Amino acid sequence: MLSYLKTTVCAAAGLAMAATSVIADPYADHRGETLVVNFPAHPHFDAVMKVLPEFTKETGINVEVDQLQYLKMRERQTLELTKNKGDYDLIAYVVFSKADYVYADQLENLARYFMNPKLADPNFDAEDLIDGYVANIGVAGGKKGYLPGPTGSLFGLPFGSETSILGYRKDIFEKHDLKVPETYDELLELACLIPELEPGMGGLASRAASGHHASHAFLLHLAPLGGRIFDDEWNPIVDNEAGVKAAEALKKIVNCGAEGSKTFGFAEAGASFLQGNSAMFLDSTVFAGQVNNPDKSKVVGKIGWAPHPVGVRAGSQTGGFGIGIPKNAPNKDAAFLLMQWLTSKEADKLIALAGGNPSRYSTHADPEVNEKFPHMETFGEALKNADPDWRPIIPVWGKINADLGTTLSKIIVDDFPIQESLEGVSVRTRALMDEAGYYTWTQ
Amino acid sequence: MSVAIKANRLTPYLFLAPAGIILIFALLYPIGYMVYASFLDWSPSQRIGQAEFIGLRNYINLMSDEAFRESFWVTIRFAAVVVTLEMALGVGLALLLDRNIPGMAVLRTVFILPMMIAPIVVGLMWRYMYHPTVGIFNRTLKDMGLEGIPWLSDSTWSFIAVVIADVWQWTPFIFILALAAMQSLPRSALEAAEIDGASEWQKIILIKLPLMMPVLIVTLLLRLIDAFKVLEVILVLTNGGPGLSTEILALRIFRTAQEFQELGEAAAMSNVLLMLLMAITIGMFAYNRVQEARAARQRAIAEKGDD
Repeated sequence: MLSYLKTTVCAAAGLAMAATSVIADPYADHRGETLVVNFPAHPHFDAVMKVLPEFTKETGINVEVDQLQYLKMRERQTLELTKNKGDYDLIAYVVFSKADYVYADQLENLARYFMNPKLADPNFDAEDLIDGYVANIGVAGGKKGYLPGPTGSLFGLPFGSETSILGYRKDIFEKHDLKVPETYDELLELACLIPELEPGMGGLASRAASGHHASHAFLLHLAPLGGRIFDDEWNPIVDNEAGVKAAEALKKIVNCGAEGSKTFGFAEAGASFLQGNSAMFLDSTVFAGQVNNPDKSKVVGKIGWAPHPVGVRAGSQTGGFGIGIPKNAPNKDAAFLLMQWLTSKEADKLIALAGGNPSRYSTHADPEVNEKFPHMETFGEALKNADPDWRPIIPVWGKINADLGTTLSKIIVDDFPIQESLEGVSVRTRALMDEAGYYTWTQ
Repeated sequence: MSVAIKANRLTPYLFLAPAGIILIFALLYPIGYMVYASFLDWSPSQRIGQAEFIGLRNYINLMSDEAFRESFWVTIRFAAVVVTLEMALGVGLALLLDRNIPGMAVLRTVFILPMMIAPIVVGLMWRYMYHPTVGIFNRTLKDMGLEGIPWLSDSTWSFIAVVIADVWQWTPFIFILALAAMQSLPRSALEAAEIDGASEWQKIILIKLPLMMPVLIVTLLLRLIDAFKVLEVILVLTNGGPGLSTEILALRIFRTAQEFQELGEAAAMSNVLLMLLMAITIGMFAYNRVQEARAARQRAIAEKGDD
């Protein structure tokens, strides 16, 4: 009798649990809805496209993707976000758009979604998201206005974010018994030593083309060498000792680079490495997906990866994309569910396996992911030093960036004096910042 | 005045009205919009109504903006150099080819091919040819035992490089217009000169060129306006670099709107460019008018002399 009772109770409990698990469908209210999302044409989002059908299968929510070329995407979004009623439920945006969109009050504050028990998944594990990425692309309103801090809040989640990493030719390093550089001194020495050891081969493939590219390459070195563009009171300090050192490093790297490196952009620098014309490559992790693709690369299987070398501090770049919900989105709750699903542990892993850039520490450490992409673990280690403040995220940055980039190009190509040129940037930056009102409280 | 006469007088305006309305909406409204935008501090994240009105500040900022001034001079230098070269080469070619050579029709088509290629493609093509290692120019130089030229990675050479690409693409335009003008010249004048024993050079300088002048001036003007606005080839070839050595105004305007997100300032720059082009156009037409008036006066004196 007792045993009968036991079975009945167990069966009942089992049934009840099964029933709750059927009822516990957080997506039930949104089944059948269609979301329109705006993604860029980018390797990460190409991988996302392969995983998205899973979401629809699991949740019953349909997703229509408007995938645009990156510059086009920005243009379209600027138009879309100013409309009263927008068409997009979820958008991918670059770091700089954070400054524009949040300031123009066009992105939803995510607090009210994470507070909503019907929407927020308790197992989301936000701690596992890479801190540098969240600080860089997700949070605004804290320190300096664009960083986290006591007054900051969350407007987006990292999705397709990138950091900088050092790629090197294992075969060349073995042949000459070279040590993989861990510090900037070692890196700079090797950059000029390799062309002597391997005539015709450049040391480090770096971007240097006038404008954004030169500026990007300079900033990559500026943070580890201890510099910043501004101090805490928005005074330009790009012309200090660290700034000069970073410019000297860039000039040295370009001069010891492959032929034509003075006008390399991201694509050319990458091609130089893939074609076997340069022994090292220091730039975004997004590039890693191509090195073992025989269609694009002549160095399949010959590349090793190491963290961004350390100067006076360890600091690698943070950039790439995040996703957020526009203020004028038609289906905000469902958009949040999609956003949460895409950045969940499970989806992050699926996307990583399909060739995307994971946003979580756990994915970088995942054995299955590492088996397919052995560099992931190194990337995960490097990401602990991802620096969200390696460049300022303020609306006037575009102009400062362009000025810095053209000045650096003059330094590299026409041998302009480094100290004086950077002082010029500093003076012009101060004028721009003054006009934009950054000295209202300090003057 | 009777109603009928009044109606009669109004009729032409009635017929002109549709064209006038289209003109207002299609031409004046956009230009007015741009002029208005140049007085605003306007970022693309705002609607035009939300932008702050700042009067002439955009223009004042431009005057003190070193990068803009540099772009301005690069543009003037670029336009002056390419148009001069293209005019000389185009008219020269037309003079050479204005004769009956077998296969001329094919040759002419071949000559105007560059003009038919999309500018982006021209940019990409030349960029590849200028490539420091695999480009045809440097490979040829190296095969001959010479040093390669830093085509796109030196300020002076990159300016020369964009000039060469532009001359290559647009000389044919001047060539076909000059050739057409030459072929419509009155044969009688040339025959008279021949009978008077004029040499080939005399015929060209004293008869052909002066008679072609009105067409040449319009051609020059068209090319000049175009040269001030050229964007795609330079965008692809150098993106304005190194430094600002090839950053012409059109590229600066594009970047101001796209990269710096300052629509007001971009509009102000466009207006400065527009005013410059207007001044050139008006100057050119005024010069033409003065020339024509002088020719007419001389003709009148000559006719009087005949009497």
